[in-house]
Amino acid sequence: MHIVVCAKQVLDPDGVNAYAFWGRLEVGESGRAFSVGDVVQQIINAYDEQALEAALRLRDAGLECQITVVTVGAEEAGTILRRCVAMGADDAIHVLDPDHGAADGFRTARILAGLIRELDGVELVLCGRQGSDFDQGTVPAVLAEQLEAALVTMAAGVEAEDGSMLVTRATPNGAETVRAQLPAVVSVSNELGLARYPSSRRMMQARRQPPAQRQASEFVQDSGPLAVELVELSVPDVQGQCEIVDGASAAEKAAKLIATLRESGLLGAPSA
Amino acid sequence: MPEHVLVLISAPDGKLRDADGEALGAARALAESRAAAVAAVLIGSGMDEAASEAAERGADLVLVADSPELAAVNGERVVPIAADAIARAEARVVLAPRGPDLLELVPRIAARTGGASAVGVTAIRREGDDVSVEAAVFGGAARAVYRFHALGPRVLGLAPAVADAPEREAGRTAETVELALPDVQPRVEVVQAADAGEGPRLEDAQYVVSGGRGLQDGENYGLIAELAEKIGGMPGASRAIVDDGWATADQQVGLTGKIVVPDVYFAIGISGASQHMAGCSNARCLVAINNDPEAPIFKYAHYGIVDDALDVLPELIRLTGKQSG
Repeated sequence: MHIVVCAKQVLDPDGVNAYAFWGRLEVGESGRAFSVGDVVQQIINAYDEQALEAALRLRDAGLECQITVVTVGAEEAGTILRRCVAMGADDAIHVLDPDHGAADGFRTARILAGLIRELDGVELVLCGRQGSDFDQGTVPAVLAEQLEAALVTMAAGVEAEDGSMLVTRATPNGAETVRAQLPAVVSVSNELGLARYPSSRRMMQARRQPPAQRQASEFVQDSGPLAVELVELSVPDVQGQCEIVDGASAAEKAAKLIATLRESGLLGAPSA
Repeated sequence: MPEHVLVLISAPDGKLRDADGEALGAARALAESRAAAVAAVLIGSGMDEAASEAAERGADLVLVADSPELAAVNGERVVPIAADAIARAEARVVLAPRGPDLLELVPRIAARTGGASAVGVTAIRREGDDVSVEAAVFGGAARAVYRFHALGPRVLGLAPAVADAPEREAGRTAETVELALPDVQPRVEVVQAADAGEGPRLEDAQYVVSGGRGLQDGENYGLIAELAEKIGGMPGASRAIVDDGWATADQQVGLTGKIVVPDVYFAIGISGASQHMAGCSNARCLVAINNDPEAPIFKYAHYGIVDDALDVLPELIRLTGKQSG
């Protein structure tokens, strides 16, 4: 089986959140990027890394498969592909899209669909549930539409059957198991568990296997966003309105808090 | 037919949820700014009651797809029904209330109809004939404004509490149209349904008591559960302590966990990373207990106690609810 895993390079969300946490996150002059310099790294979207992990687990479970990782983005986005090959992907393709609208999943999905149609006998496409930058989750659904494939979102586990996939989904009501006919697009959620770590030996080897390169213009005519355009970013100014409940001891503070909540009707009176 | 702002209501069990009411409220506000009317498409099984409620909550046109086949959400059936409704209502803007299947439905409906989509929408602004929207990025650390280019409808998945649900106006009626079921053979079938659906859900809890690393040890999570039980609420957790194995994944509150909207949210020993706040910032009242007065959680909280969580928790347990011994 030929499996394609779609991966995206993102600004490390933990790094961005650390800046936000300390109140130091600022938007740069363009209005569409953060000024975090080189302190926050560009990394592989963690959900996409888990999508690759799902593919590798299928192979570990005995499925004969070719695993191709693809990414769409600027020149530097190719670095994540090296990691994917070191993790165990067979090959990697980088579609160069210098002025790609990182926020436009419709553009990305159109490019990916064009590429996947050209590849040989792709039956399964695995994506992360969403990019941890814009959190939109557009690509898997739009890609399924473009490829006229079955769609399963929020996978926590994937098993191959003859001509179909058995997918465990993470839902608010617990785990659900579905069977999807092939070809299928499956988006993987964090419930899948941690992705494997590539050994340094494999990282060295992967350096000698550069990804194949294609151009976005082979798959879409226009540059720039097709459907969704990021106009501006802003950092919300959270105004603290917290009333600190004071007291000489933890017991006193707790008592005052409970009394305040009861007086304002937010908490019921004791029932016994 | 005039333009309608269309609300997409997936109600497999025939019941409207709070989020559906909020979306009807948002649709009413938007419709007024566009001189449009409000339509609702209801997809599920046994929809009579839901159809009257949608009308009483402000829908002028109610499109109903009602069939036992729709008693479980299946995107391959919902998407063509939604596309049919968009065409009939001449909808330029479609609002989808928050829900578990948002990521399966919203972008797919947009793709099917040649439109564009955004999810997690916190505000909708009028831009001439079009709209721009605001949504959280990086788990709530920042916000983005998007505008759209596609020819088709703007399909918008709403964040919690974007609008208030309109009051029910008893006896208000709407033009009602029954939609035909699409002739599709779904390629995805449910083999085993989720089974935890009957128990109480964190998302519906009136009180949520969540713990974080300030509990210092996994054993102390028992105090969180005890306080939650005393006040008739449910225990929640930060991602950090779920990763540590102190709490289970279904207790996680935040961007990648549950989004909760309780009357009171207790954040105990939680520092307040934006990923976590994305799950609880719509609580009516947020109480923070943390020994670090500089912790960001106090920027979001209504009431705060600066003290050690492990000293305050036993006192709260002692002071609340019935004395169960």
